[in-house]
Amino acid sequence: MASVTKFVSSALTIAEMEARKIRHDSSELWMRAVQPALWLVVFGSALTELRSSQLTEGNFTYLQFMSAGIIAQSVLFVAILYGVRLIWERDMGMLTKLLSTPSPRASVVVGKTLASSVRGIFMAIVVLGLTLILGINLRLDPLDVLGVFFVVILFAMAFTAFSMTLSAFLGTQSRMMAFGQALTMPLFFASNAIYPISLMPKWLQYVSEVNPLSYVVDAMRSMILTGVYSQVPFDIAAIGVFTALMMVSASLVLRKLVQ
Amino acid sequence: MKAIEVEHLSKVYPGGIRAVDDISFDVEEGEVFGFLGPNGAGKTTTIRMITTLGLPTSGSIKVFGIDVRRDSARVRSMLGYVPQAVSVDGDLTAYENLLIFSKLFDVKKADRPDRIKEALDYMGLSERANDLVKHFSGGMMRRLEIAESLVNRPKILFLDEPSIGLDPSSRLKTWGYIKKLNSEYGVTIFITTHDMEEADELCDRLAIMNQGKIAVSGAPEDLKRSIGGDLVTVKTSARPPSTVPPELGSVTEVDDYSLKIVTPNGEAALPQIIDHLRNQGVAIKGISLSTPSLDDVFMKYTSVGRDTRGSFRETREARKAFERRAR
Repeated sequence: MASVTKFVSSALTIAEMEARKIRHDSSELWMRAVQPALWLVVFGSALTELRSSQLTEGNFTYLQFMSAGIIAQSVLFVAILYGVRLIWERDMGMLTKLLSTPSPRASVVVGKTLASSVRGIFMAIVVLGLTLILGINLRLDPLDVLGVFFVVILFAMAFTAFSMTLSAFLGTQSRMMAFGQALTMPLFFASNAIYPISLMPKWLQYVSEVNPLSYVVDAMRSMILTGVYSQVPFDIAAIGVFTALMMVSASLVLRKLVQ
Repeated sequence: MKAIEVEHLSKVYPGGIRAVDDISFDVEEGEVFGFLGPNGAGKTTTIRMITTLGLPTSGSIKVFGIDVRRDSARVRSMLGYVPQAVSVDGDLTAYENLLIFSKLFDVKKADRPDRIKEALDYMGLSERANDLVKHFSGGMMRRLEIAESLVNRPKILFLDEPSIGLDPSSRLKTWGYIKKLNSEYGVTIFITTHDMEEADELCDRLAIMNQGKIAVSGAPEDLKRSIGGDLVTVKTSARPPSTVPPELGSVTEVDDYSLKIVTPNGEAALPQIIDHLRNQGVAIKGISLSTPSLDDVFMKYTSVGRDTRGSFRETREARKAFERRAR
């Protein structure tokens, strides 16, 4: 029991540490919001002129269709580059210090990924705010928005932990940066973020089946656009399993970073 | 009780590099123990294993009687670690740094405000408590790191190159704080350093590592004495006698106007030598005493200049720390 309390308090303290940093300086997050804004304003606005029901799986505009995809993309970008930050902390000596505290390793992973999900939620709020400004018609009732936040938290934690795992093997900031960036586009395009899976060739459909991003986008799209919830429990279960796997792997390899 | 007991400890990295090769040593509770050696000698690897950050290949380590492999979290709860690089977080304020780490070290909530305030006052950081640490000077960052130890009260504190990159006055102050931490709060201190003056000033005992092994260990005075005695040089106005009584030492060199005597304890022998020469009717024009330094001890027991694996990273880290502190 004492160890559970210790685990939770360590994780929350580490999350608090990151949250305090965001409070001191949130400029990085605002800059990161530029990219999803451009996707919506430039790419989305151009394609929304196409009123093909094939492209949007139903009677929606393209902007409505892609909004959930852009939320997922903005969160993905923040999460997958977390490893760069972690390696920087290692290089500076801060990670060594953190790992020499009595905190269990897994609580360090939980704390850091929780903090990253705070960044993720910030991005989701920014994108949802943009959709309001652009007059994109979505179902923004409070429960649906809370549902989106829940998915964003799981998703950000999963990819942050994935990035932490990768960073332990890659070892330098520049390699992590290159690898992270190389991964984001394939993950994004091999998902249902900006076009439906039904449009893909057969082989790509198989890829998107195992792409966690597809489940994330599907869950969020059900909540803020279609209102058809039948697939949501399955989506969330799939994301949950992926998140748990990533957290375990990050906890196992974290020590590698400081050896 | 022994603070640290290391027995037959080895660390072999993948590729067969033996960074630490079957070393054994003890650190007594309450002492300041120095760990010296050239880059790549295995000092940092050893510290990482004691602080549970690295796993030993073989051998055992006990910290206050607890095996690091059996209960690593409990061991970590007793130790503080100040790595070579800057370990305080520049994106937080001084107060927040102390607060977060006091929580991670399970300092009771009721004790936190008083201890943090006391530590900030003691280290002269109260006025800057709410400033972001990235705007601090190197000396202030070091003080904040020591303040963390005052808040968390570890039983043993590991300091990796505590005064690297500090200007002479910050360095002296840092030494003062380390001594106080040891004498007033009873913290056992384990220091690695390249700075022989620092080792001589602070350490009760030290061990010199070379190529993964402990080349020699003991109190600084004993080590210095072990490599030869003190040298007394007397300048005279006429030819001095060519022998002195054996209890004063032995003459190694003599010419028309000077006399060199090697003696185990120069300070004590000096007045006796003066008396003896005066009694002999020799007029003394000048007298000097030189004692072997830790530098001499270090050079004797290490193979400096030989590059081994790990030295690149150590050098890089040291320089990086230096650059950041020097800003």
